[in-house]
Amino acid sequence: MESSSSQSAGGFKNSNLVQAWLVLLLALCFGSALAAVQVQLSDTIAENKLNETLEQVPALIWNEAPAPETVQITPGTLSVEKQGQASSYTLYRVAKDDKVAGWVVKAGGQGYADKLELLVGVDADVRKITGLFVLEQKETPGLGNKVIEPDWRGQFTGKATETPLEVVKGHGEGPATIDAITGATISSRSVTNIVNATIANLKGKLDASGGQFSERSQ
Amino acid sequence: MSDQPTPTERFIQGILPENPIYRQLLGLCPTLAVTNGLKQALTMAGAVTVVLFCANIIVSLIRNLLKPHLRIVVFTLTIATFVTIVDRFLAAYMYQMSKALGPYIPLIIVNCIIICRCEVCASKQGLLAAGSDAIGQGIGFGLSLASIAVVRELLGTGALAGVAVLPAAWPQWVIMVLPPGAFLTFGLLLGLINWLQQRQSAKG
Amino acid sequence: MTYLVDIFLIAITAALINNFVLYYFVGICPFIGVSRQVDMAVGMGAAVIFVMTIAVFLSWTITYFVLMPGALVTTWVAQFFVSAERAAQIDLTILSYIVYIFSIASSVQLVEMYVRKFYPPLYKSFGVFLPLITTNCAILFACLMVMSNIVGVENPNDIWDLGRALTVGIFGGLGFTIAIVIMAGIREELDMCDVPEPLKGAAITLIIGGILAMAFMGFTGVDNGIRAALGG
Repeated sequence: MESSSSQSAGGFKNSNLVQAWLVLLLALCFGSALAAVQVQLSDTIAENKLNETLEQVPALIWNEAPAPETVQITPGTLSVEKQGQASSYTLYRVAKDDKVAGWVVKAGGQGYADKLELLVGVDADVRKITGLFVLEQKETPGLGNKVIEPDWRGQFTGKATETPLEVVKGHGEGPATIDAITGATISSRSVTNIVNATIANLKGKLDASGGQFSERSQ
Repeated sequence: MSDQPTPTERFIQGILPENPIYRQLLGLCPTLAVTNGLKQALTMAGAVTVVLFCANIIVSLIRNLLKPHLRIVVFTLTIATFVTIVDRFLAAYMYQMSKALGPYIPLIIVNCIIICRCEVCASKQGLLAAGSDAIGQGIGFGLSLASIAVVRELLGTGALAGVAVLPAAWPQWVIMVLPPGAFLTFGLLLGLINWLQQRQSAKG
Repeated sequence: MTYLVDIFLIAITAALINNFVLYYFVGICPFIGVSRQVDMAVGMGAAVIFVMTIAVFLSWTITYFVLMPGALVTTWVAQFFVSAERAAQIDLTILSYIVYIFSIASSVQLVEMYVRKFYPPLYKSFGVFLPLITTNCAILFACLMVMSNIVGVENPNDIWDLGRALTVGIFGGLGFTIAIVIMAGIREELDMCDVPEPLKGAAITLIIGGILAMAFMGFTGVDNGIRAALGG
């Protein structure tokens, strides 16, 4: 049944020692391949993750981003208490020529369908919202999905933080209203709620001199 | 040994007659999951082909040393290693695509296509046959994924690979890019292929 | 109290809202292959719940204590070889997939031995299905979901504990069972219908699956409402 080539190898097949050595050798080869990949690529991957957020940061503070050499972005954390539990925000201190221009905070929460992750830009004293970007969303395509569109997000730019923002259907009048997306009120509300909660947590803790911001050691 | 298909036969079989999706019905999870866009579908097909090729080559090289017991363990170890490597490469050099494909790249490990090809072909034939089998099956897989993706993306967003094709007046059938659209598209296309197959065998 | 609300929401989400088969597309092969009769479907579902729970338990434990950067066991062992600072930075997550697939294979072996010893008639009716569960995407998917909530989570307070991981395991498997049993019930009725020749078998199953998926889409947003109602 077996051809001659596998006759001589038949002895090999049945030897348990050879089997054990084979698996060991394979494990070693694969292990070293994986270790090599890890060493080579892990830095690139970490950089990709970081850049994804960093790229958006200048546009969230200024309408016209200044020359990159004059901008200093420092990542860090801010400890807060959320619903009675100690928690923290990841945020970026954005400075131009070493003067604090604003803060960009990563905020997350529940959307209509799944979790939402946002980047909220505020000015140095947390008095005004300077920008909004949606990092991650899994809302309904064509409906809740529209929260990522610049036109809708642009509503947040320039809003004062004194009163919490309110979502209205149709066209809202007033300095603290956000127009909901037609057919996607819940998604619109979810984003606005996350923004409101974040601002409420930041107020009083951040200011032009740094406040309770703690730099993350690189 | 001479009753085994030749490398060329393996290659051609993989594309249509033994198409992994439409004929063998293997590896259906990525078929439904990543076909909401043409780019994702082709990237997934590329990843699967790479893993299948590497796994087939390795298994073919050690095929005479493997005892039946250890077969599955070795296959799994090999496939898992290559999938990890492909996953890291995608995260490093195609980061946005890797995020879009999400957990479906690691799921290539349990993709029945690869284990099946290792079992049926690579563990029994030489390097050339194993390699061409991998490439043939890979092309077949890519074509099937692309066929579903074209329908879903075109009808669902009016665009192909992100490039708008249909006029803006097209009311986007959003359901197509959602889970039900995947099931329905694939089911109907499968019915179509079956119908064509039956007509062909009725003629011949 | 919030912990229980959280668990409840994870359970509902895994079983109904983000159903593994009808939303995440994992476990499609048995969904199409094993859904001919209701009792087979129930058996397959039960086996999947069992295996998924054990596999998720193993994955969580190994990821939390060995693989993730700063894991306790790895740090302790490495302290004998390198400085404590370097030891805390060792990241073994590149071995995750290999570890998960082998823990799944072991879980299947465990369940197989258990069923063979204590429920021989059940084992006979299962036949070839048990080893097939190893290649069931749903189990590996559950492990991957647990991993994504441990590794790479920025806020250490958000890292999933064992309770949340097991919830996903049990209720994800339950969702799979619900989907496959509904499909089996429908297919039993379908036997008496006049299905066109090209659509018989997998094609009609997929089309019905599409309609089921549409039905399950109705669950979207339910967790939001529950969360608001429970004040979580």
